[in-house]
Amino acid sequence: MSTAETRTRTTPGLVPVPETSRATERRPPEPPAGAVPPRRSSSAFWRLLGSELGLTFRRPRNLVMLGVLAGVPVVMGVALRLVAADAELGGIVTSVAGNSLMLTFASLSFLVVLLMPVAVAMVAGDAIAGEAGTGTLRYLLAAPAGRTRLLAVKYLNAVVFSFAVTAVVALSALVTGLIMFPVGPVTLLSGTTVPVAEGLLRILISVGYVGAGMAALAAVALALSTFTEVSIGAVAGTMVIVIVSQVLRAIPQFDGLADYLLPARWTGFDGALRSPIDTGAMAEGLLTFGAYIVLSGSVAWARFSGKDITS
Amino acid sequence: MTREAGAPFGAAPPSAGAAIVTRGLTKRFRGGQVAVDSLDLDVPRGSVYGFLGPNGSGKTTTIRMLLGLVAPTAGEHTLLGLPLAGALPRVGALVEGPAFYPYLSGEANLRRFDAADPTASGATVRRRVGEALDRVGLGAAAGKRYRNYSLGMRQRLAIAAALLGPRELLVLDEPTNGLDPQGTREVRALVKEIAADGTTVFVSSHLLAEVEQMCTHAAIMSTGRLVAQGTIASLSGGQVSRVRIETPDPAGAARVLAALGLADVRATDAEVTAELGGHAPERVNAALVGEGVAVRGLSVVRPSLEDVFVGLTGEGFDVDG
Amino acid sequence: MRKGTFVRWGVPIAAAAVIGAAIGAGPVVAAVSGDPALPERSAQQLLADAVAAVERTDGPLPMSGTVRQTASLGLPALPQMGGESPLALLSGSHEVKVWYGAQDRLRVAMPTHMNETNLIVNGDEAWYWDSDGNTATKIKIKAGAGWAHEPATPAPTPSDLTPQAAAAKVLAKAEEHTAIGVTNTAEVAGRPAYQLVLRPKAEASLVQEVRLALDGETYVPLRVQVYAKGSAEPAFEVGFTQVTFTPPAEENFVFTPPAGAKVEEQTLGEVISDGKAGEHTGEHTGDAKAAKDLKVVGEGWSGVVVAPMPDLGSLPAEAPGGQGDPAEAKALLDNVLKSATPVSGTWGSGKLITTKLVTVLLTDDGRLLAGAVTPEEIVRVAGTR
Repeated sequence: MSTAETRTRTTPGLVPVPETSRATERRPPEPPAGAVPPRRSSSAFWRLLGSELGLTFRRPRNLVMLGVLAGVPVVMGVALRLVAADAELGGIVTSVAGNSLMLTFASLSFLVVLLMPVAVAMVAGDAIAGEAGTGTLRYLLAAPAGRTRLLAVKYLNAVVFSFAVTAVVALSALVTGLIMFPVGPVTLLSGTTVPVAEGLLRILISVGYVGAGMAALAAVALALSTFTEVSIGAVAGTMVIVIVSQVLRAIPQFDGLADYLLPARWTGFDGALRSPIDTGAMAEGLLTFGAYIVLSGSVAWARFSGKDITS
Repeated sequence: MTREAGAPFGAAPPSAGAAIVTRGLTKRFRGGQVAVDSLDLDVPRGSVYGFLGPNGSGKTTTIRMLLGLVAPTAGEHTLLGLPLAGALPRVGALVEGPAFYPYLSGEANLRRFDAADPTASGATVRRRVGEALDRVGLGAAAGKRYRNYSLGMRQRLAIAAALLGPRELLVLDEPTNGLDPQGTREVRALVKEIAADGTTVFVSSHLLAEVEQMCTHAAIMSTGRLVAQGTIASLSGGQVSRVRIETPDPAGAARVLAALGLADVRATDAEVTAELGGHAPERVNAALVGEGVAVRGLSVVRPSLEDVFVGLTGEGFDVDG
Repeated sequence: MRKGTFVRWGVPIAAAAVIGAAIGAGPVVAAVSGDPALPERSAQQLLADAVAAVERTDGPLPMSGTVRQTASLGLPALPQMGGESPLALLSGSHEVKVWYGAQDRLRVAMPTHMNETNLIVNGDEAWYWDSDGNTATKIKIKAGAGWAHEPATPAPTPSDLTPQAAAAKVLAKAEEHTAIGVTNTAEVAGRPAYQLVLRPKAEASLVQEVRLALDGETYVPLRVQVYAKGSAEPAFEVGFTQVTFTPPAEENFVFTPPAGAKVEEQTLGEVISDGKAGEHTGEHTGDAKAAKDLKVVGEGWSGVVVAPMPDLGSLPAEAPGGQGDPAEAKALLDNVLKSATPVSGTWGSGKLITTKLVTVLLTDDGRLLAGAVTPEEIVRVAGTR
C-alpha cells in the first residue's frame, strides 16, 4: 500500500508535481511494515459493488429513467382525481379514489407491464455490453476484477436497481395518494377491509414481489448483455422477450405457457391484495423468478467466463 | 528485484521468476486466421522490453492473452512467475488506447478501476489516485470530466491508471500513440523513470526509433511470429557495423582496408565502406593515414533495428502503420 | 475457445435440466412410480365407502383448496372475454379458490388480475362481492332452501339404512343409462385417488366417459373429467390442484361490505343449480316462463333440450347478482354463429353448432335444440316434433 508513495518520494515525477507534498501531508500515518492485514476478498467485493452502484445511480440516463417512473404515479393520481370527481366509474378508479394506498397498487399494475421492465433492461442490458462497448471492460478485467466476480457485482447492482425502480414507483404513488385521496382502512380485492398499517405492509410485500420479478428480468438482460458489445442490442433484445411474452400470454392457445412467462407472473403481486394473502400463487411466482435467475445467470456466466474480450 | 523494506505488496513477498514467459503461445481466431503463432517470449526482470512489429503483427493479441482477456488457442504463459489472478494486481496495463467513463471525472475514473482490483485498499485510494494523477501531470485536471480531456490527457490518464498500485510489471501497448512530440517525450521519460525504479516495462510499439531509444531488450514480431528477441545490443550484433571512409583516393583506401582484413570492401567515387568486424575504427584510421591515404572523414555505421528487421524478414517496416 | 468450454456450458444445461425436471416432475414422477397404490375397490364398494365417510363426518370434510377448471370444447376463440364473466369459463382454464367449512359455510373466490369475485355463504346469509364493480350483493335465502349441493356426492335418503344399501340403490338407478366401473388410481392435487368411470350406454352420446376421482382417504370428489368421443384429452375438467382437509380460518366466512361499496340485496327461494330444466321455480319470472316452454326429448345421456329461441338480449346471467353483459354474450353468440354449419331436412332447416361435447341446433322456425349428442341425433330429434 505504501510502495507507490515511497516510489514517488524516491523518484522525481515526470513533470513538476506541486500537489504531491500536500497529498503527502494529508495522508494518514502508515501502518508499520508487515502489519498490513491480508485483504479480505469480501470487503473488496463490496467495494466493487459500491463503485458499481455509484456509477449506476449517478449516471444521468438512469436518473432520468427513475424520474420518469416517479412522475407517472403523480400523473395517474391527478388524472384519477379529476375523473373520479364527476363520473361513476367502477373498478380500480373507484378503489383509488376511495383510498390513498390503492394508488400504489394501481401504479405498479400499470407500470409493471412495460415501463419498469424498460428501466431495468436499460441498466442490466448495459452491464457487460456497455463496458465492452466503451472498452472499459478490458481495464476492469486487467485490474483484475475477475470475470465471475464482476458478473456477480453487475448482477447484484441490477438487482438493487430493480428494487429501486419498484420502490421509487411505490413511494411516489404512496406520497401522491396520501396527498390526493383520503387515508383510511384499505379495502382488499376480496372485499375485506384492513387497517392502514396492514395496507402499508401489503405495499411492502408487493414491492418485494415486483422487485424480485424485475430482478428476474435483469438476469435475462444480463445474459443477453454478455453476447454483444452493443448495449442497445441487449436492451432491445430483452424488450423483445418481454413483448413476445405479453403476446403469448394473451393467446388462449398458449394458456399453459402463461405460468412460465415473466410478464404473467409480474402481475401476481395482486396476491398481496387478497384475503388471505395468496401465498401459493406468489410463491409460485417467486419460484418462476428464481428459475429465470438461475438459468439466465448460468448462461451469462458460461458465456462471460469464456468470452474473448477483443473490444 | 529489490524493493524497500516497508513497501511489500499486501502480505505477499515480491514474486520471483522472469517477468513474462510464454511458451508456444498461439491464438487462432474463429475465422481460422492465426494472429499469434507459437510465441516464446522471455522478458527478464528489470528490463525495458520493446515489443516491436508492424501493425497487425499480433502485438495487441499477445498482450490481451498475457492479461487474460483473450484465451490462447494453445500454449501457456506466466507473469512474474505467478498464476494469472495472482499476478495481475502487480501488473499495470495500457491496452489499445485509453478507455474511460466519459461522464466521470479523471479522478472518479481512477477510483473506479482501483475498486476493481481486489487487492487494492479503499482506505488509501484517495492518496494513490492523487499520486498517480500527479505523476502523469494531470493533478490539475483531476476533477474534469473525461469527455473534456484532450487526446494526450486521455493517454496520460490511462498511464496513471496503470500506476495506481505498486507494480512489478507495466504492460504498455503503444503508449505514445496519438501523442504530440512533447507528450511522446514525456511518456518516454516516464517509462525510463519507472524502469529506473526496478519495474519491468513491456512496451509494444510499431516505432523502431522509440524502441531503440527506450528499451534494453526487444522482440520483433512479423505476421504473428517472433523473428528475434534479446538485448538491443545482441539484436544489432546480428548485423555487423560498417566503417565508412570519405576519401579522394578510394582505390588506395580499399587496398588498405583489404590488407587490414576487413571484409566486403566496396568502393565508390568518394568513399569506401567495409565490414568493421573486430577492428577498432581508430586503428583503421591510423593504418590509412600510415599508408598515405587522405581521409576526409571516417564514421562507423551501426545497424539499426530497422536493418535488423529488414535483414530478418526481407520486408520493409511499415513505419507509419 | 478457452479450455473447459463444455464444462462451463454444462452449468446452464444442468440448470435447464433441473428446472425442466421441476416443472415436469409431477407427470414424470407419476409415470415412473406408476399409479398410487390403494386397496382394490369395486364401484359399489367405493360408493359405499364414500357414503359411509360422509355419514361418519356428518357431511363432507371441512377443506380448502384451489380448483382449476379447463374447458377445451372446441369453441371458436372467444373475443376479449373479461376474466370475470361466467361466459369466459367456456374456454381456456380458470382457477377458483374454495374454502369449505360446513354445509352452510362456504367461500368461493375467483381471482383475476387486480380483481376478485367472491361468493361467501354463512348460515342463511350469503354475499356476492365483485371488486371490479365495487359491489356487494346480499343474497337472502328463503327458509327451507339449502345451499348444500355438493354435486358429486350421492345424496342418500333417510330410508337408506346402510351405506352399502345406499350405494347399491344409486348404482342400480344409474346403470339404466350408464356403465359404471373403476379404473386405475390417479394422483390428484398430490393425493392418491380412486377413479370412478361413468360410461354412457347411449350410442348417440358425444360423451365417451366421465371420470370421477375420489380421494383415497376421505372419499371427497377431487376431480371430474369429461372425455369426448375420439379424444384422448378431457374436453372438460374441473378438479383440485391443491387441497387441504383442515377447517379453514373463520374469517373466510365473514363478510362485511367495505365502506364506500355499493350494497344490493337479492332474495332467492332456491338456487339455480343443477341445470335440470323445468325445475326453476324461483322468483325469476322470466326463467319460470322459459322453463315452461322447455322440454327434454330422450332420456339419460342422449337427452336433448328443446326450447324456443331465446331473445338474445335477455340471456340469463348465471351467477346470482352476476354482471352478465348482454353485449358480450351477443358477441359470443355472433362469433359462434359464424362457425355454424347450415343443415336441412324434412323438418325444415337450421344452423348446427358442434363442439366436442355439446351440439346445438338453431332451427329457422325458432327452436333451439341442445344436447350432448351427435349432430345426427339432434337432427333426428328436430324432426320429431
